[in-house]
Amino acid sequence: MITTVIGNYPKIPNRPRPAKLRNAITRFDSGEITLKDLKGVEDEVTLEVIEEQIDAGVELITDGMIRWEDGQTYLARGIQGFSINGLIRYFDTNTYYRQPVVEGDLEWVGPITARDYEFAQKGSKSPVKAVLTGPYTLALLSKDEHYRDRKRLVMALAKSLSKEAKALEERGVPWIQIDEPALLLNKEDFPLVLEAIGEITQDLQVKSALFLYYDDIEGLYPQILQLPVDLIGLDFVMGEKNFEILRKAPFTKSLGFGIIDARNTKRETVEEIVEKIGKIREIVPLDRIHVSPNCGLEFLPREVAYEKLVLMVKGVNKAKEVYHA
Amino acid sequence: MLETTTIGSFPKPDYIKKARGQFARGEISREALKELEKKATEEVIRTQEKLGLDILVDGEIYRGDMTTYFAELMEGLEISGLVRSYGNRYYRKPVVSGPVKRRGPMTVDWFLYAQGLTKKPVKGMFTGPYTMTDWSFNEHYPTRRDLVLDFAHQLHEEALDLEKAGAQYIQIDEPAISTRPDEIDLAIEGLQIVTEGLRAKTITHICYGDFEKVYPRILDLPVDQIALEMSNSGYDLLRLIEKHPFTKELGLGALDVHSHVIETKEKVKEGIKQALEVIPPERIVVNPDCGLKTRTPEEAIEKLKVMVEAVGEVRAELN
Repeated sequence: MITTVIGNYPKIPNRPRPAKLRNAITRFDSGEITLKDLKGVEDEVTLEVIEEQIDAGVELITDGMIRWEDGQTYLARGIQGFSINGLIRYFDTNTYYRQPVVEGDLEWVGPITARDYEFAQKGSKSPVKAVLTGPYTLALLSKDEHYRDRKRLVMALAKSLSKEAKALEERGVPWIQIDEPALLLNKEDFPLVLEAIGEITQDLQVKSALFLYYDDIEGLYPQILQLPVDLIGLDFVMGEKNFEILRKAPFTKSLGFGIIDARNTKRETVEEIVEKIGKIREIVPLDRIHVSPNCGLEFLPREVAYEKLVLMVKGVNKAKEVYHA
Repeated sequence: MLETTTIGSFPKPDYIKKARGQFARGEISREALKELEKKATEEVIRTQEKLGLDILVDGEIYRGDMTTYFAELMEGLEISGLVRSYGNRYYRKPVVSGPVKRRGPMTVDWFLYAQGLTKKPVKGMFTGPYTMTDWSFNEHYPTRRDLVLDFAHQLHEEALDLEKAGAQYIQIDEPAISTRPDEIDLAIEGLQIVTEGLRAKTITHICYGDFEKVYPRILDLPVDQIALEMSNSGYDLLRLIEKHPFTKELGLGALDVHSHVIETKEKVKEGIKQALEVIPPERIVVNPDCGLKTRTPEEAIEKLKVMVEAVGEVRAELN
């Protein structure tokens, strides 16, 4: 059993710590600093949030996705054929992203996140995983003015992302995580997601994970075990029913066990965490479990995110003691 | 017909941003900050008069944010810290840590001050119970409904106080309503409590969301007018209205408030004309998509100028 995170980490702390990145973006927008200066601040903040995750005791971290304005545009800006449109709500949250618009054939023209991975791994004592928004979710959250066919768009994105995944693998990334929360909005599209994820992972040797959050997987189990990935991550906060659903058939993969609520400040207690681990232990052996928040931590203030990670690690350590894992 | 108004917030002038920073660091007093906010509010009123807008707003200069402002005045709420909403924009997200309760009127003094500066009507406005709930962390109430209803009863008192103070228009902002189509009944239930027995014209403002899933159900919101974002989505919503008539007054969002680009008069006129194909002019009020606080003061004025001119020309053509 190890501890991990899902992806993004709050970009700025609260007073008295300085909001470096926010200030730098403001100054960049008003022409006071150069793009190079801004990139320098992004690097600095990335190292800070790496340090924070390690300090909290998290074993498999991310780079905090500090450079990602949101889960969609950072990738879309790097893929030829996209333009970026106006603001639109992200799922049922109070956060917004600029909607990518598919205007032509999509083509991967070079690594988008690979340099970020290299930078983060060089600055981290702990392994860093790479996170990509999956082809299905990217397709659903974009506006398609070109393919006008969901399947063709998803598969075109899968081709681009498979090249990105390959570029990450070549640089030695230990885990590639693909996030597909949008599948839970349209479960009938599972066959398409299966095909798209296959396109990405078929030539990969590196460990791969698929995360599904903001809901439970009712109606998709045990089919999701067909997904060609090593680990499937699920949301046990907004999808508490997953505990029950997983009892229907043996869980044959590793499990991403999302139990820390990354969308509410209410702190989990060590006891609650131990109890949940006890519950999952009856379904999946603990040596196949990655404990994590249910989704990215950027919905929380930075200090609360950190505190929740500390509690998660404490809970997991306590559970190891209790269950001799 | 085709009256013009705005959704609520105006850009804060630099001296207000600076003063807010100084106040947060304890360098100036609350009174000193308030004096400057009054000055800026008067400027906003004069700007609107000069532009020729029909129904005015106080500009929300005194609000840091549309939920935080109320959270800081009510019992049972605290501020958790900064949370990003998009791009480089953050807000201090409230946490509900106990029963929510109004300590006293929250917007009435500002309404009275703003209305005292002009002969044109000024809207009374506050954030609605559904949005207050959706945009806060809930650490106290067992369900979202419990929290929405408690907020609704408290905000009903605010609406009554505004009406008593003379507000002819009361706008209850509910931008979060389009977030969860499955909770539209709850949003309606909350607004029912807030608007119960009011004689003033009631308005609600909703923005950024998937209207396909909540239309025409939003027409059951117990208000006289619904102000909607339209230009940002290329007036897509009008296609829904074609299929199912819009039975209330429409606040037609005709300016994209998240873009630096100043719309052309032709573009705004085109949007209004599209709306006129499905709703009669008596039931259309023209406004920007959303609050203007994210624009620079110059951009806001330029955009509104185009809007007022476009409306003037459409009115002339209709006559």
